[in-house]
Amino acid sequence: MKGKIIVCRCEDVTLHDVEHSIELGYADIEEVKRFTGFGTGPCQGKECMALIARIVAERAGVEAASVPAFTSRPPIAPTPLRLFARDPAGDPDDGAGSEER
Amino acid sequence: MHWVAVAASAVPQYGHDFPVLTMVESPVSVRVEGSAYTGEGQRELPPRSRPWYACGALTRRLRADAGRGEPLRILFEDNSVRAFAGESVAVALHAAGRQVLSRSLKYHRPRAFFCLEGHCGGCLMRIDGVPNLRACMEPCTNELSAEGQNAFPSPDLDLLEAVDWMFPHGMNHHTMMTGSKILNLVMRGIVRQLSGLGTLPDSDADELPEVEELTVDVAVVGAGPAGLAAAAAAARAGARTLVVDEHLQPGGSLLADPRHGVAAAQAATTDAREAGAELRSRATAIAFYPEDGGGLLAVATPERLLRVRARRYLYATGGYSVNELFVNNDRPGVFAARAVGRLLVQHGVLAGERVCVVGAGDYAATLTRALSDAGCEVSTVDQRERRIIGVRGRTWVTAVEVDGADGKTSRIDCDAVAVAATPAPATEAPRQHGCKVELSPETGGFACLVDGDGHTSVEDVLACGDVCGYAGPEAAAAAGARVGAVAAREATA
Repeated sequence: MKGKIIVCRCEDVTLHDVEHSIELGYADIEEVKRFTGFGTGPCQGKECMALIARIVAERAGVEAASVPAFTSRPPIAPTPLRLFARDPAGDPDDGAGSEER
Repeated sequence: MHWVAVAASAVPQYGHDFPVLTMVESPVSVRVEGSAYTGEGQRELPPRSRPWYACGALTRRLRADAGRGEPLRILFEDNSVRAFAGESVAVALHAAGRQVLSRSLKYHRPRAFFCLEGHCGGCLMRIDGVPNLRACMEPCTNELSAEGQNAFPSPDLDLLEAVDWMFPHGMNHHTMMTGSKILNLVMRGIVRQLSGLGTLPDSDADELPEVEELTVDVAVVGAGPAGLAAAAAAARAGARTLVVDEHLQPGGSLLADPRHGVAAAQAATTDAREAGAELRSRATAIAFYPEDGGGLLAVATPERLLRVRARRYLYATGGYSVNELFVNNDRPGVFAARAVGRLLVQHGVLAGERVCVVGAGDYAATLTRALSDAGCEVSTVDQRERRIIGVRGRTWVTAVEVDGADGKTSRIDCDAVAVAATPAPATEAPRQHGCKVELSPETGGFACLVDGDGHTSVEDVLACGDVCGYAGPEAAAAAGARVGAVAAREATA
């Protein structure tokens, strides 16, 4: 049967794209993410990360447990920016967080 | 041919106390044989190929309106759609027989929800002039206007779908630059017009809300079976407990499980509230910032941002529905099994008339039985015996293609597919704390590593339920009660 097998719905990444990335040598999960763009859409990998990690482990012939998750960054879910407008941590003169960084 | 809707008896096992609509043929035979849910050979099976939700008053809704919220009218692409207060835009549109909600950003493939839980990015719509809202997380309000995105002229018929046909093997953007600078600029201009995620909102954000600071003993994230049990246990043990949950109603996977349902979710919620826990719905834990004054959990609500500090953080975030790999696995009509269960159990809406359940396990078996009792024609594809290789249908599923053990391909006609794969643990927030997770296929993905008391690898963080690997709602509730008590003891020590 012909047609696309979608692994990441948000960014329209296909199984073919992931396999192509691994063939080119971008084979660990962070590299596959950067090459294909999977997990960078509105869902941030909620639906696809476990699936693609399993593919990466299979193709590399390694134990599943040795494949790390990609870095999770805020925000975890789509958030309107207006909510942050008055967050004290967003103000460089005031926020405890920003000064330490 | 004429069809009439007949209200039959109530469905106590789902916690609803209102009648079921049973479809019977008229005037050939009008028979009311009790609830569509009782099973045992007395259900009315709708005959095949009947467009029963396309004829105006009739919908995919199973039951009469008695147990629903107030009736409303919403607009989808300027067409009026009947809806009810308390349900999401995605549910209302599906119940009204609407199909394609939007188009995907690159190939303009048809899109509808897959998970119905805010996690798949399949139902992004422009709602009341705001782009990229998840239709499954937005409650219906009167005269709300929902439009598809990335579609010209409409989500059902999008001319830009040509991109999908032009690149049958996909588009590798790394190799699409030409040698000419000018040509590249022109190409970039065209591609940016063709793709993307919606257009800017109609108006600016009106007022900017203040943030709210909250300090508690135990912060529980997720109000499913594990979170509600944990919150009740923590509050009973004397800890000041806050539970945040992203959904419109608390209950999590209980609301998608025919063995539990609305009544069980309400009972667990009441129990947590009576124990003294503060529960906030539509409150999403969006980040943990360890560097911010000893650690800060950011929680987004539609009104404002909450900055939560707690002595113990307890994650009961459950799991995300995941898909299987087969051709056209993103086709509208391919749903997560839990979305099909949620439509049926929480909303009294059928995912389709002929549902194909893909996968094995307890939940798949339960769902198969419940759908069949509700009058659906159900087929099953046990992936251990035969594999699904793809689905047919241009904008909606019409059949699945299955590869048998003998190597022959067979076709099963259906108008909905329920993919029952093991849910993937929702570990984003614990990972931001630095908690160790491990990938294993049995647990559905990257599961939080915990000891018997729910301690993760980080001192003030605990986890319980499906976030530690899928175990189902009963095991999650038991773990929640145990771990909630531990968190309370440590937080108040």
